[in-house]
Amino acid sequence: MDTLQLLLNGFAAALSPGNLTFALIGCILGTLIGVLPGVGPAAGTAILIPITYKLDATGGIIMLCAIYYGAMYGGTITSVLLNVPGEAASVVTCIDGYAMAKRGRGGTALGIAAIGSFIGGTIATIALVAVATPLSTLALRFGPPEFFGLMLVGLCLVTGLAGRSLVAGILMTVVGLLLAMIGIDPVRGAPRYTFGVPDLYDGIGFIPVVMGLFGVGEILATAENPVRDVVRTNLSRLLPNLEEWKRSFGAIMRGTGIGFFLGLIPGVGAIIPTFISYIVEKRVSKHPEEFGKGAIEGVAGPETANNAYANASMVPLLTLGIPSSPTIAVLMGAFIMNGVTPGPFLFTEKPELVWTVIASFFVGNVLLLILNLPLVGLWAKILEVPYQYVCVGTLLFCVLGAYSINQSVFDIWVMIGFGFIGYLLRKLDFPLAPAVLGMILGPQLEKSLRTSLEMSAGDFTIFLTRPIALSLIVISLVILTVSALQLAPKEIREGSAD
Amino acid sequence: MHGILATALFLVLSLAPAGAQDFPSRPINLIVMATAGGPTDIAARILGGIAEKLIGQPIVIVNKVGAGGQVGWTELARAKPDGYTIGFIIMPGTNTVILDPERQAIFNETSFVHIVNHVLDPGVIWVDAKSPHKTLKDLFAAAKAAPGTLRAATTGILSDDHLNILISEEAADIKFRLVHLDGAANQLKETLGGNIDVSFDNVGSVVKPLKSGQIRVLAITDPERSKFLPDVPTTKELGYPTIISSSTRGLAAPKGTPDAIVKKLGDVLKKAMDDPEHQKKMEEQGLGVKPMLGPEFAAFWKEQHERARKYTDWAKKRPQ
Repeated sequence: MDTLQLLLNGFAAALSPGNLTFALIGCILGTLIGVLPGVGPAAGTAILIPITYKLDATGGIIMLCAIYYGAMYGGTITSVLLNVPGEAASVVTCIDGYAMAKRGRGGTALGIAAIGSFIGGTIATIALVAVATPLSTLALRFGPPEFFGLMLVGLCLVTGLAGRSLVAGILMTVVGLLLAMIGIDPVRGAPRYTFGVPDLYDGIGFIPVVMGLFGVGEILATAENPVRDVVRTNLSRLLPNLEEWKRSFGAIMRGTGIGFFLGLIPGVGAIIPTFISYIVEKRVSKHPEEFGKGAIEGVAGPETANNAYANASMVPLLTLGIPSSPTIAVLMGAFIMNGVTPGPFLFTEKPELVWTVIASFFVGNVLLLILNLPLVGLWAKILEVPYQYVCVGTLLFCVLGAYSINQSVFDIWVMIGFGFIGYLLRKLDFPLAPAVLGMILGPQLEKSLRTSLEMSAGDFTIFLTRPIALSLIVISLVILTVSALQLAPKEIREGSAD
Repeated sequence: MHGILATALFLVLSLAPAGAQDFPSRPINLIVMATAGGPTDIAARILGGIAEKLIGQPIVIVNKVGAGGQVGWTELARAKPDGYTIGFIIMPGTNTVILDPERQAIFNETSFVHIVNHVLDPGVIWVDAKSPHKTLKDLFAAAKAAPGTLRAATTGILSDDHLNILISEEAADIKFRLVHLDGAANQLKETLGGNIDVSFDNVGSVVKPLKSGQIRVLAITDPERSKFLPDVPTTKELGYPTIISSSTRGLAAPKGTPDAIVKKLGDVLKKAMDDPEHQKKMEEQGLGVKPMLGPEFAAFWKEQHERARKYTDWAKKRPQ
């Protein structure tokens, strides 16, 4: 079957009442996460995994993806109305969005952000359809040695780029890999690091760990200084006028391109495309003096880039199994929990599921536009909920969620323990993404390494005699060298932490 | 110790008839140690769906996955022996977990009461359709000519397929290079990708790829041909009568479950297995049904356990 046929079948499945409902629930929950300050996309996605756990794999994944891009969308609202980014990628939107709100143009700022996000997200998904199939045909050439090389590239990218210090990145990656080793050895069947505790035989659950690190950790960190100051602004006028349309159109198109291409590169955090888009808009604008005082391009460009990025980052995830950001890493863990391993084999093994999920991205973008334009007033109301209720409610939800996965009290303790660890690591400025990635990629990395060595009867030259494997290992070394020498652009190093 | 156990057993047995009459009065949990949607789980759901109509109470499938089945069997062995928790055990999968000291299993060969067997899925030896090894003789000759170089895939360490390779090595006096992969899908991918020379798996997993022409099945490691693969010769026909291996899955209860309840469960489940709907659905899955009630099943388990002991020891001594 050709791509178009597969995509059309995907649409048929994505538009079935069940899957449509899951996408809608996901979009609503995602927007809610985006709106609630102190609960970012990674935290929110982690917290909400248990909800999707009992669904079938397709429904669960549709909902998780919808939560992800819903959160990327929803963060704008707090940026514009509170001057507090609901998630990191909306930081730039604060500058001109908040300025617009103070001038009474908050409704228009939210309107253009929603429209730009819709256009950016949709175009990026079309591009995803175009590049996904050629990339996934690489699958058959990938045996265990090549897979090992690929996992290594993924780990090095996130370790090297995600954080201010390479040493801290490597340290956190190793912590993640060590956590992944707890439990029964996947090849020999011997228990490792279990200390005779039966709860550890199956390893430390990924979900309680990310719920703790991202969810509980973030709530604790935000509880220290909750910021609340809602701007009363005019939300009745959402659609831009002709002049504003003209100024926004170019910004939206450029934002789409910037977001899409940066989304393809793993390790580039969500915040970078928004900054680059903002800088580009300021440079090409005929009135750069308006930037910072409520220039509509300063909202349209970054918000579009943000959503184009969110959809494009699905390309390396789905085709290579490499997550680009912490949120995508959490998403990938949830995929694996649902029995779906993202990577080169996904498109050949589960074509119906992949194409249904991709079709659901289009559906989700439409749903978000509907949710955001007419209902923006409702979301603005949620901002008035005092933080102490949000904080306690979310914590309660985390405990219930962690327990519900395996009906295990042990998982609750794991979550709480990692919540405190996550809080401390945040305070000490250690990046969390490499730890999560190490934990997700660890088992696959180990398995492919050991299977490769079984194939070669213990001879390590198997990695040097196979061209694809060798190239991937060389690429990993180049990435590490570049990060060690701090050759990467400063913005990338500074911006990838979130 | 034995005296106490015997007394306890006697007490339980003497109380049993009263309990068995109104058994079951609430839903029965059926522990499946494999992921939802896999062949073991599908078979359990087919059987459970038919049996619950006969027994008058829901049969709830509980997937307890992990550590090659050990998580599920630990749960089963620890459950209250009242007939409301039963589960699948696998021969030789459960046996090798018990026999491998490294696994530190909390259950042993006497921890389970055998209710009734369900599936017997014979082993197969298969290669890529483009492989130079056209027959089992070709394959064994090639392995003999270059010991330890042909890459042979299992579907996991100490699985029935792993033992099947050791049994074949012993029978043909050859040596493969063992590669442990996770499950049938990975085996297919690596074999077609040229990373594996020969794969050992079960009939249920190869019916589809054989029909599509991707693979060639060299032999079935069972005394009789399979109705799902009528053209594939048996190892016996090919002159290796000792290469016999299968994955056999049946239902068991924790030790101490009253005899009357075990018998009642066995009779109902056997009746469900004989149901034409059950047979039709299992046939669609390519799974052979082999009901063996209580004592017959227990005897089969014992025989398989002794056989698994020998090959588990070998497997642990091999460098790979």
